[in-house]
Amino acid sequence: MRRNVPLLIVEDSDEDFEVTCWALRKVGVERPIIRCTSTEGALGYLLPPEKSPDPAPPLPCLVLLDLNLPTGDGRQLLEDLNRLPRRPPVPLVILSTSSNPRDVVACYRLGASGYLSKPLDLDDFVEKLRVFAAYWFMAVTLPEGER
Amino acid sequence: MTESPSKANTTTGALNVSAEAVDLSNCDRELVHLCGAIQPHAALLVLQEPELTILQASGNTQDMLGVATEALLGQSVETVLGRDPTAALRERIRRDDLNDALPHVLSVPRLCGKETAFHVFGHRTADALLLEFEPAAPADLARSAEIHSDVRAVLNRLQKAPSLQSFLSLAVDEIRALTGFDRVMAYRFSADGSGQVVAESLEPGLDPYLGLHYPASDIPEPARRLFLLNWVRHLPDVDYVPVPLVPESNPQTGSPTDLSYVSSRSVSVMYTGYLRNMGVQSTLVMTLLSAGKLWGLISCMHHRSPKAVSYEIRLASEFFAHMVSLLLSEKETIDHQAYRARLNGVTEALLAAIRKAATVQDALAGTEPNMLSVIDAAGAAVVTEEGVRLLGQTPPEASVRALAEWLAQRGESRYATHALTDDFPEAAAFGPCCAGLLAIRLSHVAAEYLMWFRPATVEEVNWAGDPRKPVEISETDGELRLQPRTSFALWKQTVSGRARPWLTCEVDHASQLRSAIVEVIGERARTLARINEELEKSNLELDSFAYAASHDLKEPLRGISNFARFLQDSEPGLTEEGRQRIETIVRLTKRMHDLLESLLHYSRVGRSELDLQATAIDELIVQVVAMLRSGNRSALDVDVRVRSPLPTVLCDRIRVTELLHNLIGNAIKYNDKSAKWVEIGCDQALHPPVFFVRDNGIGIPEQHWQRIFELFRRLHGRDAYGGGTGVGLTIAKKVVTRHGGQIWLESRPGEGTTIYFTLEAPVDDEAVDPGAQPGERSAPGGGKA
Repeated sequence: MRRNVPLLIVEDSDEDFEVTCWALRKVGVERPIIRCTSTEGALGYLLPPEKSPDPAPPLPCLVLLDLNLPTGDGRQLLEDLNRLPRRPPVPLVILSTSSNPRDVVACYRLGASGYLSKPLDLDDFVEKLRVFAAYWFMAVTLPEGER
Repeated sequence: MTESPSKANTTTGALNVSAEAVDLSNCDRELVHLCGAIQPHAALLVLQEPELTILQASGNTQDMLGVATEALLGQSVETVLGRDPTAALRERIRRDDLNDALPHVLSVPRLCGKETAFHVFGHRTADALLLEFEPAAPADLARSAEIHSDVRAVLNRLQKAPSLQSFLSLAVDEIRALTGFDRVMAYRFSADGSGQVVAESLEPGLDPYLGLHYPASDIPEPARRLFLLNWVRHLPDVDYVPVPLVPESNPQTGSPTDLSYVSSRSVSVMYTGYLRNMGVQSTLVMTLLSAGKLWGLISCMHHRSPKAVSYEIRLASEFFAHMVSLLLSEKETIDHQAYRARLNGVTEALLAAIRKAATVQDALAGTEPNMLSVIDAAGAAVVTEEGVRLLGQTPPEASVRALAEWLAQRGESRYATHALTDDFPEAAAFGPCCAGLLAIRLSHVAAEYLMWFRPATVEEVNWAGDPRKPVEISETDGELRLQPRTSFALWKQTVSGRARPWLTCEVDHASQLRSAIVEVIGERARTLARINEELEKSNLELDSFAYAASHDLKEPLRGISNFARFLQDSEPGLTEEGRQRIETIVRLTKRMHDLLESLLHYSRVGRSELDLQATAIDELIVQVVAMLRSGNRSALDVDVRVRSPLPTVLCDRIRVTELLHNLIGNAIKYNDKSAKWVEIGCDQALHPPVFFVRDNGIGIPEQHWQRIFELFRRLHGRDAYGGGTGVGLTIAKKVVTRHGGQIWLESRPGEGTTIYFTLEAPVDDEAVDPGAQPGERSAPGGGKA
């Protein structure tokens, strides 16, 4: 398993991004972390222009997606990806402030691979990410960046 | 009674009247128009056209015209009139068919055989030309211009009469002055055909007939038809000796000559008998019409002696009656217009009051202007599905309801009677307050009515003789004969259970009021619907706003909490006091986070669709109690008593679970007794069933009974009784109102609280419920499995 395949975090809030990175490092995740602040940016990263002179960056091994984004709902990204004839082979886990059952149901319906609601308490959050990392980076076999 | 010839009836033979068919119209059978005789005040010649040869002549030509009857037969009319008048006559009758009338055709200053001026009237039958000769009254002839100007002056006075009654009184006075009769009466027909003397002018010393009623049979239907054609009819002497025609029949046809249109024709013995019984010697009768219909008569009677009225006076009288008829219509119309104008004015005021009032019923049965302002009645009622509202003198509410049911069965949109018991005998039990009823149906589907009541007036009707015995039967010559009644003595009849009749314009007016009210109700319904729609929309917007706001607020809040924690962990130089303060920040963010979560939750209850399904409440309670016990140790030693079986109702299982969780949770939470109990039950005898959650907890003072349902309302310290955000009962209320139900409580501080709730709309409840969305309420009774 290649440990250098990056993790993509789609998060508009700098503070939340900082806390998430801090917590991931704290639970031992050492992979490179790429950040997009909008759904468009994320889509552009996952699907680079075909005729681009630069070589396409490696596909992330996992996407952590905030639902509440300034430009377009996180659900939009799920829908856009679903509409592709060849969906990028990447699991997509929601990381959201909302614990509304309706949001949870909507995301799984759109093919989300997981749903993490952000607790207020930092310790709870760290604990939650520890379990998350154990599952996704130790138990599960992830794609290795091939497009 | 008056004579009534009929051309239609040609039956001949013996008079044969059965006792059942006793009616003065039987005098038709006398065949007066074929009687072959005239009255002696005129002479009649029957001529053959075109030669104008005399075929028949009345037996009085020697006296009247100066030539013996026999000498006239077979001669030309020139024998009587002379050459020039005959030529004038020929010219006159050439221009006119003379079929349906007896117009004046000629006036001559003298005849060949007599130095007397005559008026000549002509009529054509199928077989012959009839000429009637009537001596002119030289004095009246001379002053005919004067008579006309007198009539004109009288008409001017009549026009100024302030009321119908004074108008009629003046008219009979003036006609008596014009004609010189002892008695002149205005006689008005009722809808049932009977008549009443409504104005009278009479010679001093005579018995007045004013106010007397005459039965319908006194003036038979054929006579009424004749009044429409012939506006003036005159009988100079009731004791006249009939003058026969010579020969008896038309020699060319062998049939009797039809004298229908001859004004001097011999009249019915029934008529003369009737007049004689009344002590009348001479009559002059004029027709009064209103709007083309027979309104009544002006009846002139002479008691002292026979009285011949000249053609000039008759002509003036006819003109007079004609003008009275025209003015009559005008006066009645003006009377009605004034009444209508008054009604319209108060109706406008009432409609304005209805628009301002809380409900239509409040205005209709409230202070003036109300239903009694717009229709002249003693009582009124508004019967709607909301209930019965009474105003003034009415039957009791139950009777009004019964009346509405009866009216609904009849099915008419409007109903007016002055004698309710005739149609609805049960109304006799309602008492005298509602002999008259005017009802207007408000709704086409429901038994909803506007009603007005008029009390019974005990009225004494003064009949001229017993109206049940219009004729008597006498036996003369071994044969049964009809005779007019001999008694005209005052015959009093007491009529009860009758109210003053409703005028057509009142019924019309009530119908117009209904239309206006229905329009106002429609306006109100539209306004209400619009307000509801706006309210619903703004509620939804508010929920969306609360949801978005609390969601967005959570993010920076979490940031504050996280960075406060970072500070706590990563600042080694922090004093204990600083650490405590950061701890406080974290605690406050936690508190604010809980409030935002509650708000989010609450707004979700308002926004999401209800998923209605038949749900056994027993099962939900078992789940809820298990859930509470697993999460809260203090719930383990609470005695939970469920009064099974609880009903199965149509509701949203998840929301109602939450409702029960909050209520039972509160019952456990706010309890300081050592032996705690919670009792859950339902009164299924009520509709919809009323659930309750009862505890022996701390209770709630009455002043807080409403406030506890407000958002974030807590009656205790933040951390007392396990803390909380104060949203539980607010959500409970929202769940209940979303189901169309209601929630309320009873409590005694220190003893316990009972919270009651329903999960269905009350039966027939149309009340606005802003929390409910259309189609989401469960149908009444629909929840019973």
